[in-house]
Amino acid sequence: MEAAQAPEARGDELLVVNDVKKYFPITRGIIFQKQIGSVQAVDGVSFSVKKGETLGIVGESGCGKSTLARCIVKLLDTTGGGISFDGRDITKLSRTAMRPIRREMTMIFQDPYASLNPRKRVGFIIGEPLEVHNLGSSSEIKMRVQELLEVVGLNPEHYNRFPHEFSGGQRQRIGVARALAVNPKLIVCDEPVSALDVSVQAQILNLLKDLQDDFGLTYIFIAHDLNVVRHISDRVLVMYLGKVVEIASRDLLYAEPKHPYTGALLSAVPIANPALGRKREPIVLEGDVPSPVNPPSACHFHPRCPRFVQGHCDVEEPPLYPFGNGHVAACHYPLERWPMSADEIRRASSPVQSPSSQSREELPA
Amino acid sequence: MFRYLIRRILWAVLLFIVITFVTFVIFFMGPNDPARAQCGGDQAQPACLKLVTEHYGLDKPIYVQYWRFFKRLVFQQNLGHSYATGQSINQAIGKAAPVTASLVFGGAILWMIMGLLIGVYSALKPRSLLDRTAMVFVLIGISAHPVWIGLIFEYLFGVKLKWTPIANYANFFGAPKDSGLPGGPWQWFYHMILPWCTFAILFAALYARMIRANVMETLNEDFVRTARAKGAPERRVLFSHVLRNALLPVVTMLGMDIGVALGGAIFTETVYQLPGLGRSLIIGVQSNDFATVQGVVVFATIAILLFNLIVDVLYAWIDPRIRLT
Amino acid sequence: MALLEVKDLRTSFHTEDGIVGAVDGVSFSLEKGETLGIVGESGSGKSVTCLTIMGLNAKRNTVSSGEALWKGKNLLDMKPRELRDVRGNEISMIFQDPMTSLNPVQTIGNQLIEAVQLHRDVSQRVARARAVELLKAVGIPRAEGRIDDYPHQFSGGMRQRVMIAMALINDPDLLIADEPTTALDVTTQAQIINLMKRLQEDFGSAIIFITHDLGVVAETADDVLVMYAARVVEHADVDQLFGRPQHPYTWGLMGSLPRLETDLDRLIQIPGQPPSLLRPPAGCRFHPRCPHVMEVCKTTVPELVPTQRDPEHLQACHLDEETKDREAAKLLEATMAKAG
Repeated sequence: MEAAQAPEARGDELLVVNDVKKYFPITRGIIFQKQIGSVQAVDGVSFSVKKGETLGIVGESGCGKSTLARCIVKLLDTTGGGISFDGRDITKLSRTAMRPIRREMTMIFQDPYASLNPRKRVGFIIGEPLEVHNLGSSSEIKMRVQELLEVVGLNPEHYNRFPHEFSGGQRQRIGVARALAVNPKLIVCDEPVSALDVSVQAQILNLLKDLQDDFGLTYIFIAHDLNVVRHISDRVLVMYLGKVVEIASRDLLYAEPKHPYTGALLSAVPIANPALGRKREPIVLEGDVPSPVNPPSACHFHPRCPRFVQGHCDVEEPPLYPFGNGHVAACHYPLERWPMSADEIRRASSPVQSPSSQSREELPA
Repeated sequence: MFRYLIRRILWAVLLFIVITFVTFVIFFMGPNDPARAQCGGDQAQPACLKLVTEHYGLDKPIYVQYWRFFKRLVFQQNLGHSYATGQSINQAIGKAAPVTASLVFGGAILWMIMGLLIGVYSALKPRSLLDRTAMVFVLIGISAHPVWIGLIFEYLFGVKLKWTPIANYANFFGAPKDSGLPGGPWQWFYHMILPWCTFAILFAALYARMIRANVMETLNEDFVRTARAKGAPERRVLFSHVLRNALLPVVTMLGMDIGVALGGAIFTETVYQLPGLGRSLIIGVQSNDFATVQGVVVFATIAILLFNLIVDVLYAWIDPRIRLT
Repeated sequence: MALLEVKDLRTSFHTEDGIVGAVDGVSFSLEKGETLGIVGESGSGKSVTCLTIMGLNAKRNTVSSGEALWKGKNLLDMKPRELRDVRGNEISMIFQDPMTSLNPVQTIGNQLIEAVQLHRDVSQRVARARAVELLKAVGIPRAEGRIDDYPHQFSGGMRQRVMIAMALINDPDLLIADEPTTALDVTTQAQIINLMKRLQEDFGSAIIFITHDLGVVAETADDVLVMYAARVVEHADVDQLFGRPQHPYTWGLMGSLPRLETDLDRLIQIPGQPPSLLRPPAGCRFHPRCPHVMEVCKTTVPELVPTQRDPEHLQACHLDEETKDREAAKLLEATMAKAG
């Protein structure tokens, strides 16, 4: 496989990810370990993020969304593909060369407790990135930390407290303050609210939105909760088994999903409105997400897909077909409208492109 | 399972080679001259020294000597002869090993029984009077040296109360004829009680503490709550859900500790004058009898490796999560 | 007579820091075949309420009072033996984390068979046949072949199905499900919710569904209990609750929720943190976070009383009903897409 070029960023694109792959080797052996396969955690993902926008990434556990996040901020090395950030190709940068760029993209993690060192004071935790990057004297850093505490809605006098003295939501605010400390351009948020209660989750979501408005931040927001992603994102990317299945603007994706998997996800979300909920007919997928070690052929979704067409979906991998306005979906038989009943979905109409439709008609009914 | 087993066996073989080689090198580098030892120390005749040196190949480079030793060991299962007495080391170990085995396995059974009883009970009634008392016992067991405990026991139960003999070993299968020594299973048991208690007390203490912690942790597991929610009585919850899970790590520990305990057996054997491997080792070291010392070390290594292997297999058998990997 | 009638249930834990009142005066009743949803955030006492009913709280340092009348008999007064006959037989329970709720060293078959044989005097063969039947009912493919597998050989969703099979194996009258879908992915959650609804029709069990997710409650429950800081703040029929919520905390929960069906520029957040149950606020426990707080809220505990309009709709708030209706309407206007 040829190494993909890091793409040129066009104008307002802050991050461009091109055909990124991350494989984890599986080894086996009695004394000497040899590689017998790989977990294709991320398998050829491409997308871009514009300055000031929020890209939501959704998918179920094991779809590779967290691995992707770690590849973007270079906590993991990629197996293939290219990433360019703010016009620079960062795919092959060394640790030292990455250092100045790390100031410009930071990360917020899921577990607000596990990601904060319990033996360090909050002031130190938030100020550490500033010290690492030599951004000011210790008194300047202290001032900045207190300012940050205020920005994220904590009491600046709590500078000397330890993480365990805070509640879950407050700890996540500390995590936000730390990510914000170095004035980054991009913040990658990996499930930042999944461990929080609803009322606290709302506080953090509002905070993230306010900060974006105030500081012109760009977010990549990874979550499994479609409600949350819809609320915070401008555009949404849906992943399934290491691949992108659909990308669209928030409004288009939720109003007119094209990929059956997106449709199934949307219809599986419980709605906090009993009257509306009763009218829906959820598309219940059969079975579990297959193992990324040995994913199904062609379209990875085909064994669970309600409109699977034998001899096509399991043979020819669907490219990301365009549907206008930047809406792309990797499906040969995209959904014609939304919402659809389970029955309507099963009756797949003609495929996107004509050449393959012929082969479909040859199949026995 | 098969793959797991093969890997374990290969590791055991590798470890065996490394350990025997290291002991060989240590003694080779040591300051004593085995030829001189065999020819009567300082009064050794040069002719004798020459003969012995040639006979054992002591002038050859180390790897040649090791290879000779290794070949003999693997193909003839022969550990050679004692430098001090000229006796076959195989025979000497054959006599000493059952004594040590009696001590170690009997002791292990004793410490497991004590550890289980104390550990499980303390876990079920944390902070009760018995739990606190048991933890004091644990503290004593961990901090007291077996020689000291052995002497106290001897004095108390042997000399003062005259309940038990204070020393010597009685053969399980009966003493040799007209040796005038005691023998038979009962005598064996009678003579071993004190050594067992002395030997087991440290490990009983350690195991009681470990089992207590494991059982308490397992009691908080979700599946224990599930079992109670099914309506299982406490006894059943304990035996079929808690203990098996709590004892999994104990099995691994036991495998490793039998090896460690073999070292501890030296003290107990010395105090009670049991003619076991530990005693042979000490006598061997004192008399510069390199061959005997090495023989004991090699034998102990094989025993420990074998035992670890058994424990690994046992572990795979009782923990289904291991089996498939 | 109600199937289960809980009256003024209280549970407190004695910890080193003091007494934590985890459940403080909870009352509700449940009829045959009905589904009661209990919603609340972590620490609201929703799980402890059910563990107390089942007698599954750790015995040490726990004090419970009040009544939980199961078919007229108080579960809290039962001898351990009597209670064991009810648990897993008449009332069964499933838990949040399917990964840790099954014994890892026993086959799922043995765990299911144990559940049968604890309450039925049947042979191993009969119990095993019953286990296979239930595994099929919960949708485990190739149930006969998989019955001898260990829990780690199943995915999370499949393990939750096994848990459900185990809970239903003795045809219980009540199934208590404590956050059964929280640890699962959204498509798996949909499968499990569907399964539970279907099985409820087949087995006719009543269900208590504990969750923090208002969406899940809306889809599963007939009746909903909203808990805050160990107390019930609102109790109503599901349509009433979502259609005319009467408690400021319920409004806060609904407003906090990002929604799939509506655009919300900004979530209506509840300020502050839930209170510590070691030293809960006086009066209404929600008053320090309540935007409508009045003087009376700080001193007097509001009782759980019916609204004037609907005797079945209980709420515990001092506000007058007119204000509440106005606020509820405002909230619904802002958050709910028109149903239609």
